[in-house]
Formats: sequence, structure tokens, C-alpha cells
Amino acid sequence: MRRRDVLLAGLCLPFLAACGRDEDAVRVDLSRREEPVLRQLPRAVTYAYLPQYAHTVSYERHRLLLDYIGRATGIPLRQVFPDTFEEHVRMVERGEIDISFSNPFAYIRMAASGARAFARIIEPSGKPDFKSQIICRRDNKELKTLADCRGKRWMAVDPSSAGGYIYALGEFFDNGIRRSDFAEITFAPGPGGKQEKVVLAVFAGACDIGSVRDGTLEILRGRIDLGQIRVLAESKSYPGWVYCARAGFSPEIIEKIARAMFALRYDRPDDAAILSAAGMRGIIPAVDADYESVRRLAEKLGLDALPGGEE
Amino acid sequence: MIPRLSALSFRTKINCGIVLIVGLIAIPLAYLTWRAAAESLQTETRKRGLVLSENLAMRVSDAMLSMDLLRMKNMVDELKKVDDISYAFILDRQGSVLVHTFSGGFPVELAEVNAPDGPKPHIRLLDTGRELIDDFAAPVTIVGTPFGTARIGLSRTKAEAAADRLALMIVFYSAAAMVAALAPSTLFARRVTERINRLKRHAEEVVKGNLDHRAGPVTAKACSDTLSCDNTRCPAHGDRASRCWLTASPDQRGEGPESCRDCPVYREQKGDEIQDLAETFDVMAVSLKSHLDELRRAERVLSRQERLLRTILDATPDLVCLVDENARYLAVNRAFANFLGLTSEEIVGASDRDVFPEDEGQAMHEENSRVLAAGRPSDREVRLRRGGSPVWFHVVRVPVVDASGRVIGLLRTARDVTQLKQFQEQLIQSQKMESLGKLAGGVAHEINTPLGVILGYSQLLQEDVPGGSQIQADLQTIEKQAKVCRKIVADLLGFSRQAESAKIEMCFNNSLMEAITLVRHALSLEKVVIATDLDERMPIIYGDPEKLKQVWINLLSNASDALEGRGGTLLVRSRLFAHEQKVTAWFADDGPGISPDNLGRVFDPFFTTKPVGQGTGLGLSVSFGIIKDHGGSIRVETPAPEGFFDALDDPGHDRPGTVFVIDLPLDHEETIGGGHPANATEA
Repeated sequence: MRRRDVLLAGLCLPFLAACGRDEDAVRVDLSRREEPVLRQLPRAVTYAYLPQYAHTVSYERHRLLLDYIGRATGIPLRQVFPDTFEEHVRMVERGEIDISFSNPFAYIRMAASGARAFARIIEPSGKPDFKSQIICRRDNKELKTLADCRGKRWMAVDPSSAGGYIYALGEFFDNGIRRSDFAEITFAPGPGGKQEKVVLAVFAGACDIGSVRDGTLEILRGRIDLGQIRVLAESKSYPGWVYCARAGFSPEIIEKIARAMFALRYDRPDDAAILSAAGMRGIIPAVDADYESVRRLAEKLGLDALPGGEE
Repeated sequence: MIPRLSALSFRTKINCGIVLIVGLIAIPLAYLTWRAAAESLQTETRKRGLVLSENLAMRVSDAMLSMDLLRMKNMVDELKKVDDISYAFILDRQGSVLVHTFSGGFPVELAEVNAPDGPKPHIRLLDTGRELIDDFAAPVTIVGTPFGTARIGLSRTKAEAAADRLALMIVFYSAAAMVAALAPSTLFARRVTERINRLKRHAEEVVKGNLDHRAGPVTAKACSDTLSCDNTRCPAHGDRASRCWLTASPDQRGEGPESCRDCPVYREQKGDEIQDLAETFDVMAVSLKSHLDELRRAERVLSRQERLLRTILDATPDLVCLVDENARYLAVNRAFANFLGLTSEEIVGASDRDVFPEDEGQAMHEENSRVLAAGRPSDREVRLRRGGSPVWFHVVRVPVVDASGRVIGLLRTARDVTQLKQFQEQLIQSQKMESLGKLAGGVAHEINTPLGVILGYSQLLQEDVPGGSQIQADLQTIEKQAKVCRKIVADLLGFSRQAESAKIEMCFNNSLMEAITLVRHALSLEKVVIATDLDERMPIIYGDPEKLKQVWINLLSNASDALEGRGGTLLVRSRLFAHEQKVTAWFADDGPGISPDNLGRVFDPFFTTKPVGQGTGLGLSVSFGIIKDHGGSIRVETPAPEGFFDALDDPGHDRPGTVFVIDLPLDHEETIGGGHPANATEA
């Protein structure tokens, strides 16, 4: 082959190599249309977890428990996901949530509408109560005692959050620190995942101190460097999270569900998996009187004056 | 008509070449870039679609758990705002459409055409008939549980249109680069071609012969200024158009200008290759000019020498020629050409056999061949015939050899020695005549005395014998023959200059008339008429009347004899040429004339055409001697000059005739008349 032909072939090669399409297209007619209609969901007992975490976290934590209760009782359960504590409370009040798993403060609000506690959990710490943690950055030299929090920016989980706000607020109150003593008090923005948001805000320096319920830091282990977070103080312990049924819900079903819940044993691996996923050690019976301490705290802080429990 | 590539100007070729190069680079580059961009865009689109769909699936999970259709709707509508996203929708676990971005209903076929590949998204290319869409189906998974599907459609057509726009932009910028490249390339080409054209003009000037034209650049300073050089003999001194490293130092050209690398002149004036070429042209022109000047000088010298040689050769009466090794003429001189009656051009290239008569040419050719073969010169006399008379040449042949000694021709010179040969013959004849004259004079002197005794005794005896007797008659015969003998003896003595002459002042005409009178009667008996035409001025000469009369009688007698007894006319004419101090006499007859063979010998002693016993051949010889003795000359012309006899009363002579012309000097001043030319035809 002559040199000129080689050169020509070399010039044409990229063109030849670049030609052609490498996949086939599926023919679709977009002109034939109809408006879709959502199917009616099958009837089931609605179960909701107070949205202190993201819906997916809530789903993940309680998915196994619901499956277990469904299998144990034969009662179909469906998890619903209110976006806020307030919505959760309202949905219980409206009867859209049959079984509610909420913090004590939300419960006393729902109890006002007729909801009644029938079970409470044993916290991962092994106790049936929990407390609030006041955290700051480890390198914040100004914060050494609770009194140093005056004039600082405080981020809490939600005005309705027991471990994330109210317990800590009670602790500040008991130490003579009022809300007005802070430079500002903000709450974690948006729906769901509020506990984590507070930790991240402190970690990022968006606020000086934050308040979360105990156990929250463990959830973020591996996602942030917990060594940069320092627990400045902890509140007194209060009763833990509570299961309640809406007003007018069938006592038989409550009984079945409660039995199934109480049957869970942490020492059984299958049950332990269910309980660990839900962030608890076990479920024990509860009555409304168990939460008087919480009602008193609310009263002390003057939270009853707020509609829906909000300040 | 498209011009041939070789016929395009160099500037056009450079421009075309640069445009071609830019085009060859830019066009494939644009195409490849377009293809790469298209593929990259497609890849990026797929990645983006995957990210968008997975992100949508992830973000929608919360809303899906809470069945927040508004949030889901907002999410898909947000995506729809992106230009190349054709649609987005969410399917629940059962495949029902929860939210979508379509208006006017959801396309029923669309929900089924794509589905996640298990826990991974899946991409499928859809053709809607109007555009191509990359459909991304990402599973909405919560804690490993499939909750639904997030679908996004990205318009590949729009992505490709973006790639096309990119390609168009690349083509546009390539074209702009091409145009931008054209401007500097034009300037560059103009710069280069201007210099090449200057070289071309320089070459044309050199071809025309103008070697003073310079192609190199003119610098601001001459090298002599830079170096403060005062060598005015240097060709580059003060010349800003010359480079000293090329012109002034020819000895350094062996190493080239590199030997001048450290010189400031070299550093300042060193240019690029074209300048080197131009300067080399200049050096070439200077060298060429000097060589041409030398050649012209040599040519002038050669031309002058050639003219000189040609003049010498043409001026010499010798016949000179140069022949090659094949004995063919290379060059001849004018005398040679005239001798042969040909031009030089006709002779050159021919051989002796071509230009000479057959026998002469053959002989010459053979002699030439011998000299060429032997390589030795030859020298010989050759007798040739020309015009009926022999011509003698002394021919010398000299071989011509080249540098190696090989004979490449011969030079032949031929000198006409005919006259020399005649002189030799005459000298021999004169010597013979002198000896004969001395012998005859001696004999005549010795015979004269006994002859006088015989004559005397015969006369005495006549007195002693009776008159009218036989004895007296015999004695008279003896006396008569004795007188004849005495006449012969007198002639012999005259021939041998033995007789003394007695010169006196005498009338020329009278001398002639005396002789004519003496012979007129006798000749009239032989029907010979003597006509006279004498100069009336009566010229006087200094001579011996008797001897001159003897000459006249001899000439008249010879003329009468020439008429051979058939009669005729003798014309005697005399003329005085005072200014030439001579007198001339013509003795003419209208006889048959003298043959050319005899013409040169008529004055020789003892030469006669008469039968034996009728003449001794001494008459004209004696007459010649008498005239010579008088300081004159005698010559013969035959035939007689045209119109010589026209003045006679009896014209009609048809024979050529013969004229003897005698010139005699005048020894003293003549006072009679002026001179006239000696014209034989003068009446």
C-alpha cells in the first residue's frame, strides 16, 4: 500500500470509528393517556412513631416490630408517618392514628384528647426512663458548667420534644436559667430527623449548645466524629416513650397488641433483633399515672398555656 | 478552469497549505470533539439521569411513607423545570402512578416500558416518534424493601442538539481560526515570496548579463565601518550590500561562514536561509563577473591574436593551409584560396583530391599521408600547370602534434618559386651565353685576320684576271662570301662586345629613315610596304649611328621575314617623351606573330625559327645587346596592341602581328615639346 493511502486511511479511521448508534430504542406512544387513580389502601390498624427521626428511620426502627405484632395478633397494621410532632398529636386526636408511640410530653397532650397509655418501653440503657443531654463542641472553652450557657445560642429538637427540649429546659429552669437568658433558642428545621439535626448544628458550630435525648449520639456514631462533641450536662430522668391508643380504639385489639408487645424478650435473639431495631430493650405495661412527673414539669415550665403543648 | 498546482504562485501555495493544514487538523478535531462531546454528554446524561432518578427515589421515600402526594408532586415538578428532563413520575409498589409531570393524563404505555433492575436503576432508550428519551427507573427502597419506582425521562435529542451546537461552535471557531490563520499566513507568505521574487529578479538580471545586481539585503553599516577596517582593496570595503565573510574572505569558504561566528559583523548581519541563499547568489554573481571579465580579456587577446595571425597568413603570398589527420583542410589563407579560385569556406572540409586536378591532387594527398604517417616534415618543389604555363612551388609540410605527441594534422606552406626557377634558367643561359660569346669573340678575332687576307687576295686576283672571265666570276664569288663571313664575324664581335661603339649626338628620326631607305626597295620586291609615323619633333639622342642603324635594319629584316614572303605592311613609329627623358620606337608587322612558347626566347643568342642556313639567330640578340649598350630597352609584344594599325591607309589586317618596342634615353636636355605617355596605340 502506498504511503498516501495509509495516511488517508489514518485520517478516515476516527470518522469510521465514531459512526453508529450502540443501542436500540423502544417505541413508546405518549399520546394515549389517562389520568391515574390511586388504589384504596386495605383497612389496617394505623401505627405511628412520633417523628423524632426521619420517616425512613422511623420505618426502619419499627418495621420489624409491626411485622411481629401482625404475625402475633393476626391484626394487619400499617405504619403512618406524620411529619411533625404536632401533626402526630393532631392525627391521634382525629383518630387517624390508632396506636401512637410518642414521647411522654406528646402523650400528656394526646391524653388530654382521650388517648390512653397501655405500654412503655425499656430504654437501651435498660431503664424505663430517659433524659436529655446538653451538648457542646469539645473545643468550646467558654462552656464548662450549665451556668456558662447563659447568653449562648441554644438549639433544641422541637418545642414538643421531651428529651430534646423540655427536659433540658426543666434542667435549666431548675438551675435558675430562664429562656430569656439565652442569646437565642432555635429548633431543628424541617420534618423528621430533628435529633440528628441538633447534633449536626452543634458539630458545625451553628449554635453553642444543643439538647438531645440520650442515645442520639449513638445514632450518629460513624457519621460524625463524636470526639468533637462534649456532653455538658444531663437532665433528670423522666419516664420513657409510651404506647397509647387513641380514644375509642378497641380495647380488645389493644389487649392483643399489648400482649404481643409484652411477650418480647430481649434475651431471645429474634425478639432482641426486633427490639434493637426499634431502639428499646423491651416493652412493659404502662398506665397514665406513670406520666404525672412529666405533667408536673410541663406545669412548672408553663407549657400548658400553649396550644397543643407548644410554647 | 482549475489551474495546475505547480502553476499556482508560491504565496497561494503557502496560504492553501496553511488553510489545508488548519482544516485537516480542525475538521477531524471538530468531528472527534463533537463525537467525544456527544458521547461524553450522553455518558454524563446517563450519570445525571441515574443520579437524578436515584436522588428522586431517595428523596421521595419519606413522602412516600407518609403518602405526601404534594411533596412528591413538587419533587417531580421541580425536576420537570430542568430543560432536558422530559418527564418524571413516581410509581408505588404495585406500579400505580402516584404523581407525574404530564398534563392531560399519563401515557399508559410509559409505566410498563421500564423497570428497575432489582435494587439497581435501569436505563432504557425510548423513541416517542418525536424525540429520543433516556428513561431512568430507580427503585424507591427503604431498608431494602422496594416501595416503588422513581422514573425520569431525559431527552437525548436535546442532549444531542446541545452536542450539535457544541460541534457547530467548534466548527465556527475552527473556521475563525482558519481565517485568523490566513492573515498571518498571508503576511508570512508575502514576506517569504517577496524575498524569493527578489532572488528570481536577481537570477533574471544575471541571466540578462547584469552581474552588478545584488540580491542580499543592504545593511545599515558596512562591515568596514563595524570593524574600522581600512583595507580598501577588500571587495566588501564600504559596501553595505556585501558580506565580508562571503566576499572578502574566499579562503575561509572552505569552513564556510561558521569560521566568522564570533565576528560582530557576522552576528549583526547573519540572516536566515533565504538571506544565505541571496548572499550566495551575490557571491556567485561577483565570481561570475570576475570570471567573465577574465574570459573577455582572454577573448580579446585571442581575437586580436587571431586577427593578427589571419592578417599575417592572408598577407603572406605563400599558400598556407592546415589539414587534419584525414588530410582534410581545416583552414587556408587568402593566397591559397585565390590560387584555387575558391573561397575559404568552399575549401575547408575538402581534400586535395577535391580542389586540385586529379593527378596533382592525388600526388599531394599521398605526400600528405606520408607526412601524417611518418610524423616528419617534408620539403620539396612541385611543378604545377596553370594557364598553360608551368608554375613551381616550394612546398613544406610540417606535422602538427597534440600534447601527447600524436600527429593531429599538418601545416603546409607553398611558396611560388616560378620566377626563381626562371631566373635560375636565365642565369644558366647567361652564363652559357657569356662563355659562348667569349668563345665566339675569340674565334671571330682570330678568323678576322685570315678572312681579311682572303678578301684582299681575292680582290687583288680580280685585278689580275681578265674581266668577265670565269676566274673573275669565281673570285667575285669568293669576295662576296668572304664579305658574308666578315659580316658574320662582325656580328660575332658585336655580340661579344668586342666592337667598339662610337656614340655621338644624332637625330633619331634620321637614323630610322636611313635604315628604312636602305631596305625599302629590297623589301618592296617582296611586297612589303614600310609605313612610317615619326615624331615630328625630331628627337636627338646620344648613340652610335651605325650600330643603331644595324638594329633598325635587323628589326625591319626580321619583320619582313615574319611576313613569310606573302607581303604585308611594316609600320615604324617614333615618339618623344620629353618628361620621361626617353624616345620610343615601334617596329610592327602584321604577320602571324610569335608563338607564346618562343616569345621569351626571341632575344636569346642563336635562337631562330628559320631553317638551317638562313639565319644565325644572332640578329635580335645583337640588337638586344646594342640597345642595352645604349642604356635602353627592347621588348616584343605579340599580338600587336588592338588598333595599332588603324592609322594606316590599308586596314583589314587579319593577322595578330608583332611589335618590337625600343626605348632609348635622352642624355641631354630636350627643349622640344612636352612629354606624352608611351602609348602604342597613339596615332
